[in-house]
Amino acid sequence: MSAGIYGLMAEFSDPSALVSAARKTREAGYVRIDAYTPYPIEELDEAIGIHHTRLPMIALIGGIVGGLAGFGLQYWTSVIDYPINVGGRPLFSWPAFIPVAFECTILGAALSAVFGMLGLNGLPQPYHPVFNVPRFALASRDRFFLCIEAADPNFDADETWSFLSRLQPRQVSQVDE
Amino acid sequence: MNPGEAYLLPRDSPLEQMATFAGVCGLVGFVVCGAMAVATPAAVAESYLFAFLFWSGIPLGSLAILMLQHITGGAWGAVLRRILEAATRTLPLLAILFLPILFSTGLLFEWARPEVVEHDLVLQHKRAYLNVPFFAFRAVLYFVVWIVLSHFLSEWSRRQDRAPESIGLRLENISRGGLLLFVLTMTFASIDWAMSLEPHWYSTMYGILFIGGQVLSALAFVIPVTAVLAARPPMLEVMTADRFQDLGKLLLAFVMVWAYFSFSQFLIIWSADLPEETPWYLRRLSQGWQWAAIALIILHFMLPFVLLLSRDLKRSRRWLMAVAAVVLAMRAIDLSWLVLPAFDRGGLLWVPSDFAAFLGVGGLWFYYYVRQLRSAPMLPLNDESLPEMRGLQP
Amino acid sequence: MADKKPTKGSKQKGAPVSAGAGSRSLSSHLPPVVEPGYTMATVADKISEVVLTQNTPRGWYIGLAFSFALTMLLLVSITWLLVRGVGIWGINVPVAWAFAIINFVWWIGIGHAGTLISAILLLLRQDWRTSINRFAEAMTLFAVACAGLYPLLHMGRPWLAYWLFPYPNTMGMWPQFRSPLVWDVFAVTTYLLVSLMFWYIGLIPDLATLRDRSPSRTGRIVYGLLAMGWRGSARHWHRYEMTYLLLAGLSTPLVVSVHTIVSFDFAVAQVPGWHATVFPPYFVAGAVYAGFAMVVILAIPLRRFYGLQDFVTMRHLDHMARIMLATGLFVAYGYMIETFMAWYSGSVYESSLMNNRFTGPYAILYWSLLLFNVLIPQGLWFARVRSSTTALFMIAISVSIGMWLERFIIVVVSLHRDFLPSSWGMYYPTFWDWSMYLGSIGLFFSLLFLFLRFLPMISIFEMRTLLPESEVKEDLG
Repeated sequence: MSAGIYGLMAEFSDPSALVSAARKTREAGYVRIDAYTPYPIEELDEAIGIHHTRLPMIALIGGIVGGLAGFGLQYWTSVIDYPINVGGRPLFSWPAFIPVAFECTILGAALSAVFGMLGLNGLPQPYHPVFNVPRFALASRDRFFLCIEAADPNFDADETWSFLSRLQPRQVSQVDE
Repeated sequence: MNPGEAYLLPRDSPLEQMATFAGVCGLVGFVVCGAMAVATPAAVAESYLFAFLFWSGIPLGSLAILMLQHITGGAWGAVLRRILEAATRTLPLLAILFLPILFSTGLLFEWARPEVVEHDLVLQHKRAYLNVPFFAFRAVLYFVVWIVLSHFLSEWSRRQDRAPESIGLRLENISRGGLLLFVLTMTFASIDWAMSLEPHWYSTMYGILFIGGQVLSALAFVIPVTAVLAARPPMLEVMTADRFQDLGKLLLAFVMVWAYFSFSQFLIIWSADLPEETPWYLRRLSQGWQWAAIALIILHFMLPFVLLLSRDLKRSRRWLMAVAAVVLAMRAIDLSWLVLPAFDRGGLLWVPSDFAAFLGVGGLWFYYYVRQLRSAPMLPLNDESLPEMRGLQP
Repeated sequence: MADKKPTKGSKQKGAPVSAGAGSRSLSSHLPPVVEPGYTMATVADKISEVVLTQNTPRGWYIGLAFSFALTMLLLVSITWLLVRGVGIWGINVPVAWAFAIINFVWWIGIGHAGTLISAILLLLRQDWRTSINRFAEAMTLFAVACAGLYPLLHMGRPWLAYWLFPYPNTMGMWPQFRSPLVWDVFAVTTYLLVSLMFWYIGLIPDLATLRDRSPSRTGRIVYGLLAMGWRGSARHWHRYEMTYLLLAGLSTPLVVSVHTIVSFDFAVAQVPGWHATVFPPYFVAGAVYAGFAMVVILAIPLRRFYGLQDFVTMRHLDHMARIMLATGLFVAYGYMIETFMAWYSGSVYESSLMNNRFTGPYAILYWSLLLFNVLIPQGLWFARVRSSTTALFMIAISVSIGMWLERFIIVVVSLHRDFLPSSWGMYYPTFWDWSMYLGSIGLFFSLLFLFLRFLPMISIFEMRTLLPESEVKEDLG
């Protein structure tokens, strides 16, 4: 372990190079790796070993909770807490409760999906070591970065550096904590 | 040898045996119906109308999907195209099968009985539209429009097989006007054949509710057919999990559309609670029909909806086939729920003649359908999206 | 929605696979989605330049000044309304709903195209949506904001608007959930929140681009805060794409439900002209129609003014024109079936309503509606019309007017003849009706001008995925 280092980062200029470098890195036994790209690249998921996300489940649960809460609210207010006769309709006017329950389902699911995504991604995050690399600003433009973190059990500052250099990057840089 | 030969329906396809069986069922059904009609002509006419409306929904829905596919494109359309075209080519048979309805208007429709109209001011008002000659004229017109459309859609699609030159634009153009014509004619057909059974009742949603149901019937029918065909070449090559997923999404979308239309109409009528509108629902929510309604909510909407959310299920040939079969069965229940409560059956939901007519019309129709399927290659050979799809195969 | 695969940038998904790529016949005889010759860097530069430049174009100032002046008119009108009450409008009994509801429905309808483009076209994997979805989403938000003003102000005591929400209160009362007006509160609120999230989530990666490219310190700080520390990690992208798809899947039924519920405002009542079961799908189609018309109205001048013809190509305009044609035909179907059923019903109320539409005091508006909303848009059948920006622009304006007239017909013409002839009346808009309407248009355009200046109007990261160089070339060695 090297103190004060977050990891080592290699810069590539096209997505194909990044994907094949990421595959080789995984094959070399590194596990704490991440790639930084200006747009989503689906091939990377498999190349750096990203598994299915739990987000659909989170959204589903959020939707069910929202829908039940919405329907329950209407039932409780209209039947139990504040029963009034509206145009002779039954207190439990279930057909009339469906639109609001539907909207609550959508709202619950959407809020859980968005906040679930932010939570799982750890955003907002004001500071992150990768931004210490000056050229990293290009990750939001047209450059592709691959980072091997110092926390990786196989990480060795010198050996990893030379491994990354062999992947024909444009440049390898050290990411300070 | 014709290059399309390899794409014809295999002689030993399970569909062939099913067609023979269906043909026999159809004949038996018709004989039973005929025998029953001697004793209770009105009951048989009612059952026959229901059976006709259900089975005609499949080719008519197919016609709509086919034209929609020509307009929007996409690989899902290319694989379904021949299966849909074959369904639309059964429309001449259905035109013939419509004749018994045409000759029993007096048994089926109140507005066709002069002794009823005589005492009913509203029906007298509607006589300009609801009268037998005009009814017959309109039916002929509808069938002419549909048969002409289906003829050209099939014909040009076949021509594309022989000549590599692209005829896609022409198909696209006929589909645009054709879809417009279809929606108009089908709206009035649904008013004539189903809504006017209760001639005092009216709903502006009815036409598209009916069309939405037909499209769903067609999808729920062609998915199992495609799935059976996908067990062996040539469909095996193109019916990848991606294609099944497309079909599953489409099925999900139309299940939702059906639920949306049905619920909207119900909520509007339930909320306003007008004496000229609510009786239609009251009849459908009493005397046992409420159980059919509950079954529709659960099995026609909730169950397929929840199952079809799953990606894995949509990609599985068997599961998707099973869900589509459930939807198709529920389409029959839905049609019976729409049509049959109009008649006074003394608390019975379904009577024996319903089953006989259902088998009779369905059996003959399916037999004829497989014959049509056999007559053309199962894939559009020169479709632009086909080489792509096949190129993908490992 | 557990099945949605992250396939947004359909390009990297391997274009040949993309099942519903949907443009079999369209791609062959239409211009491309992005004109050739762009790289990832130049796409980012071209789009972000509009935002990051120090030299704001003069046209922008003029446009903003004009819209802002109208916004001031809105503020004056609202102030006067709060001082004097809703009596300053032309409303009366029987026509108690007029401009406020017409404009509410008109704006909320316009607000539908944004979500439709973002959500439905994403699910259908229509990659042409990419260059128009951002500003269409912004348009949605601003239109919904304008729409929301009206019911609030129409309540008479807008400071008590929170009474609409269910909360435990000292009065011991709850909202009346059998009323579609309460459903509206939930529908519009949900729609606003979900559209906002959809829009903001879509913006995050672009905000990071602006943060990294902004020449000024303020820019870096503001965009940096808004980007929330986005760094483009592959793990983040994975969840991000899933969220985006989930939001698309949720927004699609949502957008349909919102205008459906707006239509319930009318349809569940017993008033002839309102109570029609076809209203839900017919309102949704009308909303999409009006919404796409507004996108066309905005897109045509914008692409010329900012030189974005390479990103918003003729193909986009052609597709939008086709969608307008399809939805417009459905709206015409609605008129047709309503008219037929009014006769078929045999109900004197229904048929006298129809008579009143055709020949009553507002008949001229009904015939103009048919002209603007049905007849003129038939030009869209012709490819030559669809490929002329001038013609398209004129047709889109015609549709916007037509859809406004449609709501006028539905609201005013249905109300002004009550069941009892003794309660009949007329409605004439006052100065304050018009000033509120024009003012809300001013507010809409002011917000839009601010958006164009400070946020990227086209999604930069999604545009990258449309470039050939973004594809991963597999060397399975």
